[in-house]
Amino acid sequence: MWHEYFPKLRPQKVAGGIKSQSKSGDIGKTWWAKRWVAVLEGFDIASRLTRGRAYARSGQVLNIDIESGKVTAKVQGSRPSPYAVSIEVRRLAAKDWDKLITELNTQAVFAAKLLAGEMPPDIESVFERTGLSLFPKSLVEMTTDCSCPDWSNPCKHVAAVYYLIGEEFDRDPFLLFRIRGIDRETLSARLSAPSTAEVTPTVAEPVDKPEALPTDPSQFWATPALPANGYGEVRIPPVSAAGPKRLGGFPFWRGTQRFLDVMTTHYADASRHGLTAYDTADTVENPERRVS
Amino acid sequence: MRDSILLLQAGLTDHHFVIWAERTIQPTDAKPRALGVKPRQHPFAATSDELTAALTLALASSNQNTSVRSELSTVWLPTVQNTPVPSSPLIGEPTIGTPTLRSWSVAACVFDANRVLDLLAGQANNPTFAPGIGLGITLRYWAAALPFATALTAKEQFLPDVVQRDQKWYAQWTPTITGADVTRLDQFAKAMPAGCRAIGEQQPTRPARAVLLDFLAFIVNAIARGPEPLPARLQFDGVHDSWLHNLRTKSGEMRGDATEIAQLAAQIRTWRQPLTTQSAAPFRLCLRLEEPITDVPESQEWHVRYLLQSRDDPSLQIPATDVWTGTAKSVTKLDPKPLLLAGLGQAGNLNADIEASLKTAAPIGFTTTTDGAFRFLNESAWLLEQAGFGVLLPSWWTGHNTKQRLAVSAHVKSPSMSGSGLSLEDLVQFEWKIAIGDADLTLAELKALAKLKAPLVQVRGQWVQVNADDIRTAIELMKTKQNKATARDVMKLALGMASEQTKLPSRGVTATGWVDQFLKQLTSNSSYTELAPPKDLNANLRPYQLRGYSWLAFLRQWGLGACLADDMGLGKTLQTLALLLRDRDAGITKPALLVCPMSVVGNWAREAAKFTPTLSILIHHGPKRVKTKASLKTAANKQAIVITSYGLLVRDRELFEPMTWSGVILDEAQMVKNPNTKMSQTARALTSDYRIALTGTPVENHVGDLWALSQFINPVFLGTQSAFREQFFVPIQHHQDDAATAQLKKLTGPFLLRRLKTDPTVISDLPAKIETTEFCTLTKEQGSLYAAVVNELEDALLGVEGIQRKGLVLGALSKLKQVCNHPAQFLGDRSAIPKRSGKLARLTELLEEVRSTGEKALIFTQFTEMGDILQRHLQETFGEEVLFLHGGTARTKRDTMVTRFQAADGPALFLLSLKAGGTGLNLTAATHVFHFDRWWNPAVETQATDRAFRIGQTRTVQVHAFVCAGTLEEKINEMLARKRDVAARVVGTGESWLTEMNNDQLRDLLKLRPDAVEE
Repeated sequence: MWHEYFPKLRPQKVAGGIKSQSKSGDIGKTWWAKRWVAVLEGFDIASRLTRGRAYARSGQVLNIDIESGKVTAKVQGSRPSPYAVSIEVRRLAAKDWDKLITELNTQAVFAAKLLAGEMPPDIESVFERTGLSLFPKSLVEMTTDCSCPDWSNPCKHVAAVYYLIGEEFDRDPFLLFRIRGIDRETLSARLSAPSTAEVTPTVAEPVDKPEALPTDPSQFWATPALPANGYGEVRIPPVSAAGPKRLGGFPFWRGTQRFLDVMTTHYADASRHGLTAYDTADTVENPERRVS
Repeated sequence: MRDSILLLQAGLTDHHFVIWAERTIQPTDAKPRALGVKPRQHPFAATSDELTAALTLALASSNQNTSVRSELSTVWLPTVQNTPVPSSPLIGEPTIGTPTLRSWSVAACVFDANRVLDLLAGQANNPTFAPGIGLGITLRYWAAALPFATALTAKEQFLPDVVQRDQKWYAQWTPTITGADVTRLDQFAKAMPAGCRAIGEQQPTRPARAVLLDFLAFIVNAIARGPEPLPARLQFDGVHDSWLHNLRTKSGEMRGDATEIAQLAAQIRTWRQPLTTQSAAPFRLCLRLEEPITDVPESQEWHVRYLLQSRDDPSLQIPATDVWTGTAKSVTKLDPKPLLLAGLGQAGNLNADIEASLKTAAPIGFTTTTDGAFRFLNESAWLLEQAGFGVLLPSWWTGHNTKQRLAVSAHVKSPSMSGSGLSLEDLVQFEWKIAIGDADLTLAELKALAKLKAPLVQVRGQWVQVNADDIRTAIELMKTKQNKATARDVMKLALGMASEQTKLPSRGVTATGWVDQFLKQLTSNSSYTELAPPKDLNANLRPYQLRGYSWLAFLRQWGLGACLADDMGLGKTLQTLALLLRDRDAGITKPALLVCPMSVVGNWAREAAKFTPTLSILIHHGPKRVKTKASLKTAANKQAIVITSYGLLVRDRELFEPMTWSGVILDEAQMVKNPNTKMSQTARALTSDYRIALTGTPVENHVGDLWALSQFINPVFLGTQSAFREQFFVPIQHHQDDAATAQLKKLTGPFLLRRLKTDPTVISDLPAKIETTEFCTLTKEQGSLYAAVVNELEDALLGVEGIQRKGLVLGALSKLKQVCNHPAQFLGDRSAIPKRSGKLARLTELLEEVRSTGEKALIFTQFTEMGDILQRHLQETFGEEVLFLHGGTARTKRDTMVTRFQAADGPALFLLSLKAGGTGLNLTAATHVFHFDRWWNPAVETQATDRAFRIGQTRTVQVHAFVCAGTLEEKINEMLARKRDVAARVVGTGESWLTEMNNDQLRDLLKLRPDAVEE
């Protein structure tokens, strides 16, 4: 009986689910996210794609977990308990990675872009030259599953998760490599330090070493000279929220408002308030800057 | 009444800005007993009431809600013999002994960041909030660190964050420190006084750098939330909504599933990683643009080279080649490849040439054309710098003043007029000339440049930037032959103001005839005609004074305003009076208006009477002053000079405004540095042929003050306040723009004359000692006390003779001197100090000027009680230690005081009782000597003065003798001056000669002149 009613059922409303940051049209802005989405759209499941996109936008996906070779997710459908979605992608073998990395190291751009958090534009050609593919090419390379009663696979729940992963690739292309079986640290290390086996030390934020208060009164109450070179050039940046924008938004954003929209307005306001406060605070006479 | 000084101190701990205060140690303070386990009460910390009262007062100036509550806090301090060591000698002498670090309980106020902003904005160089409420070294430090935080906010150097404090989660804006700010952070951290991190139940060990970062976060976070935070909310659709909302609420506290928030916090850390990694890395990508080696235009290639630049030492630069070959590793310690690669990956997005260069395995840079170099200079360089990369550009490009552009100059053909009747409103004809760098360009050359369409061209081997619009404008200008402008506009052009017509930078004006002469005189202070002093001037002008006088006369002739800002003691008054006399000699009958602080009205009148006795004076002051427009007009027009105070200028402005003055002179013109006060507005509204501002403080160092002053002397010359802000204030204050600084100096220079006593051209003219008498007015209270003493004496003298009479007279003289000094000294009641003595007001004003130029002073008084009052008042006013040496000072302490005073960074003010300090001391660090009251014995005073004037004194010493005008002090001063030789003989024995006078003579001597008392 259920299948007769099924198409009419509406999904249960979800609060705080992952929401696509694109309001309409295609999901995924970068070419590699588009290429990922194209793989899904190559399946003949047209109406499910539309509904999958709607699910992705309305926040039906509760969480996504990306591991090596496998993505699992929970999606709220029309039933009270969410469906379990999984997408498995075939991992590349170690010897394949060796070949790829040798090829990638012929041009600095690959390492440079990946280390800068971007997908190098020509990377597919490198895969092709080695007879491999970065994006899953066919069903053979990808298995999808969902606990929903829909007979179609991929279903709209899989599609929703798939779209959101695509959007996440916009932000962090390393995720694609992770799905294909190599993590960020290993890849970075092997790309930038091909000549040595040594792993790149990541620069940690400085640890606070305890610093005891001086006991000697003349040291304790000393007045060390303040730096004389002022506070540098103070300008309101021409582009607001450059920091968050450079980091590419926030991963798997689940807020009601769009993250970067809020940041853009808020940074602009904050910057203005900062300059006003700076003007009040900086009446310090700087001996270096005398007019005389 | 407050008997002691409070020094406010503050420490930051766990996001709490804790303010407490030390108060001057009193002899009555209880000695703390043996150490206990718990922190004991700090023996000389301000009480809760004292602290809240002080902070309320300190906040009052910012017009904020000032209600303050206090609590108890623990502070860790070096402790000797069960007593914390005070931070400053203002609080007390440190006890000698072996120090230990102990915790003390103090009354404290916890301020949020907005309160801290209200309290500390603009206070870094301010020693006190109010008399007796000083900024301790910790609070001064925070005030200096505050602009660091506000600048970070303005530059958007922060990211949204989640942090945990006291088991609670908060959404927070955390500053990101990159580029030059990293060095700044280290420098500020090194300069942090230990007291800034001494608050806490447990002995604090958080390092200075971390505490500074906490402070920056504390402030940035508050400003970034905005002045109107969102209301707190309880229900959210998810943790992201809660985060985004609470980033904009007041407290920022996030409630809800702690595990989920902790996950978010971890996620944020990962998210920020690329930026934090980059900003924390010891090296960054740096790009260097190199000029072509050849001069042949067709084969000119520019290079951009990739380097790694050390953050700690920007001069340490490693070529990319060394990075790829692996040789750089010995320098960088860690593998530099990922840094260079990641940098290049990001930089590639900002510049296509960089992107293209990454096609090889080991890119070291790229080559480009002249057009490409220009794009790099003009666009990419800025973008790259903003993104945090180092950019090294040729020196001809960096620094706006050396950046060569197309510039115009005007060649003026003067009208054939000459002699008198010339005015700056006269029209003159001129032609434009166009130049690049040092080379004048012809029309043909300009057209050739226009055809080149290159933004960078080489003119005589020097690369310069040209822009198509500029070239078009220049060609148009060259074509028009008949340009007309007023001499005033030509003058502005000559001073480097961009012409409104051309919008091109001005390279000055060449001219012939009187315009040429005028401009030359205006722009070089030496070449104007040096005038002979006016014949009726009753003084010899020193060479530099003659120059100053001639300069004033020159500007006055052209109706231009002047600011004479000579050091105190160089004779601004005399130079001004000479000008007024010259005006009168030239047949000008309109009076000049002189406005000065109440305390020097009498001084001006006396100096005028002395130096320019032919100039008649009206003192507009006192209850008997004229009260109507008509009567002022009648009275003033009969006189050469009208003298009034700033207070009366505002109060009687309706009387002054309808008058037409020959000139308006503002003495102590720093009084009008705030352009929006009624005082400034009234002064600007006066009608006159010329205006002069006199000040002894270095106005030229404060860009904002300069505008206000110019508004008075040459209205609209520097444009509107907002235009000035845009053109000068912001570039100079925010962008450290040397070109704007130079331009402002060029514009204001001709109207601003400041000579220092140490200037080589002045010092040779100066005597070793300049002696001035400072005439002061009595306050109303002093006036009535004075009259009472005199009346009492008159009654008592009836029918008294001999020793008894002598005793009465001497007693009365001593009382009158005390009244002239300060009512509190006379009454001996330790009552309030400020605003009750004209002498003290004048002393404070003069000392402010002395301190503003970093000089030191000796202040003599013959009364120990007055010395106490002065010490208290000066310490409270200036917030710095004032030494006091009197008869009771022990020998060893004397020597310490002298040594400390003589040291460059030692105390700057030294009080001495005349008897104790008269002999044997060498105090050559002082360049000013004040005699607050008089011994009536020139020999004793000279001996005292010579303390500062001993062997080793290389500078001019200025001696100020204080006299209350219209009182016995003035009469005796006159008598001594009239017969100096007699005085030495007669007066040598002290004051007993005064007792020999008969009753009528005495009455005449002691009588109070009505104008002696202030309005």
